[in-house]
Amino acid sequence: MTAGELERPATGQVSHGSVTGHPEVLDGPFTTRQLLRLDEALRLADRSTGLTFSVYVGELDEPVRAHAEKLHGQLADPDRSVLLAVSPNQRLLEIVTGAETRKRLPDRDAKLAALSMAAAFGGGDLAGGIVTGIAQLADHAGRR
Amino acid sequence: MSVLETVLIFVGVPAAVVAVVAGLVYGGSRRGRRYRPGRPFEFTPVWFLSSQAQPSGVGYPAGDDRRAVTGAAERAALPAGEEGPEPAAAAPHGATGGASDRW
Repeated sequence: MTAGELERPATGQVSHGSVTGHPEVLDGPFTTRQLLRLDEALRLADRSTGLTFSVYVGELDEPVRAHAEKLHGQLADPDRSVLLAVSPNQRLLEIVTGAETRKRLPDRDAKLAALSMAAAFGGGDLAGGIVTGIAQLADHAGRR
Repeated sequence: MSVLETVLIFVGVPAAVVAVVAGLVYGGSRRGRRYRPGRPFEFTPVWFLSSQAQPSGVGYPAGDDRRAVTGAAERAALPAGEEGPEPAAAAPHGATGGASDRW
């Protein structure tokens, strides 16, 4: 599967399975334990803020920002969503916030989360960086 | 001490130790793939949403996209040639914010 074929996000890791019983998500960059941590972080963030957090890990086409915004636009409710797009091979990261989200999550706060995520990624810790980023963004966005 | 014993002790034992250590090193980690910045990293792209909408942790079937990409699907469902209202994604597009970074 390539980035182009990835038409929609997986709702929960377990659902993203093939008929053979081997979930495709296990071919992704994370171990089962990391997937569980990610799922927990996403669920907590969604529940506490009322926003929809989404994480994309894969190649981003140039121009990168436009591609990330396009992915963000494909979410069910882009206005109330946050997309974290991470490309480990290109070594870049985009955080996209919707119109509604932006009021609660100013670009300055997003940049702060991006900085700490990039610090973790620079150390080779993909899952840790993403979990930290989600927690920080949810924290800044505050309660619903 | 016979020649056979000498060989067993001074060659066999070190060889066995080396074999055990090599086995631990190369066979210990199930996944050899680990992300290191600057080195190519092969993986399948993934895109996650939280699974909070799923009652009692039961996953939706892979084809069920009730939470995802409804905007794109609705746009695709419009008859060809009929413009319809401006796509929903276009309105928030200019208003998106966020941040970028590299490492």
